[in-house]
Amino acid sequence: MNTEQVLAEIREANLSYLMLAQTLIRLDSDQALFRLGVSEDTARLIGLLTPAQMMKIASGNTLLCRMRSEDEMVWSLLAGQGKHSANDGVSRLHAAILVAGRHQEAA
Amino acid sequence: MRNKSILTEAHQIDTAVELIKLGARLQVLESETDLSYERLLRLYKEVAGKSPSKGQLPFSTDWFMTWQPNIHSSLFLNIHEYLNKVAALDEIEVVIKAYKLYLEQIGAQGLEPQLSVTRAWRLVKFVDNGMLTMTACSHCGGHFVTHPHEIARHYVCGLCNPPARAGKGRNAGAIRLSAPSEFELAH
Repeated sequence: MNTEQVLAEIREANLSYLMLAQTLIRLDSDQALFRLGVSEDTARLIGLLTPAQMMKIASGNTLLCRMRSEDEMVWSLLAGQGKHSANDGVSRLHAAILVAGRHQEAA
Repeated sequence: MRNKSILTEAHQIDTAVELIKLGARLQVLESETDLSYERLLRLYKEVAGKSPSKGQLPFSTDWFMTWQPNIHSSLFLNIHEYLNKVAALDEIEVVIKAYKLYLEQIGAQGLEPQLSVTRAWRLVKFVDNGMLTMTACSHCGGHFVTHPHEIARHYVCGLCNPPARAGKGRNAGAIRLSAPSEFELAH
């Protein structure tokens, strides 16, 4: 992948993210806070973006969304790796409980 | 005579309809709205197409402590606390929205919901009046529904350390465990 392709892919991902985020926020802004894991202020800003603004924000060399959790436990549960791989469904449920419990990052 | 605003009443009817659709018992509606019993009964029949189930609500905290219900309850309560913290909503709205997110999450894992909306509502009440709380698992750090005064330093959740018979049931949509958990192997 050359630089131009990398930038195009990032813009694409950013745009998809912003559009989905805006749809979710307009659908139900409260539930969207949980789904997106962003603060109320950020959600309000995203909800008000115009298509032109979105296009502008989406271009750049960095991704706009970042990992929901930096917790190693969550990741090994989600990926079903190594020692945690007792059962796929249970691991994902376990990860869901851990992720839902992390509201300090959003608030 | 109660002097109520029509808008408030419309809002309460919306809330009641939402709760009935989710399968709430009549007692929940009575407690969360100012609508009269007769009106709620009519509304219930109109929305659900049948009479509400009778009898008392389950009043014990024990159910929330059994293995599978505890996992379901903990997922719901974590979502509930999350919404409570980030969104400015009425108490009952938080329950409704969190319950919907809980249903989604459970469905996405191919499981059957074990927690009814009535029990979810009850759980929040139990937590409000201090009969139940959440304690962090000393192993995974996740927050789980427990009795108050659980010794946090020693608490290990039902997913890190499932009881011997847990997850062996054959019911479709139940949480299944196939292999010993990491905690069992490490101890």
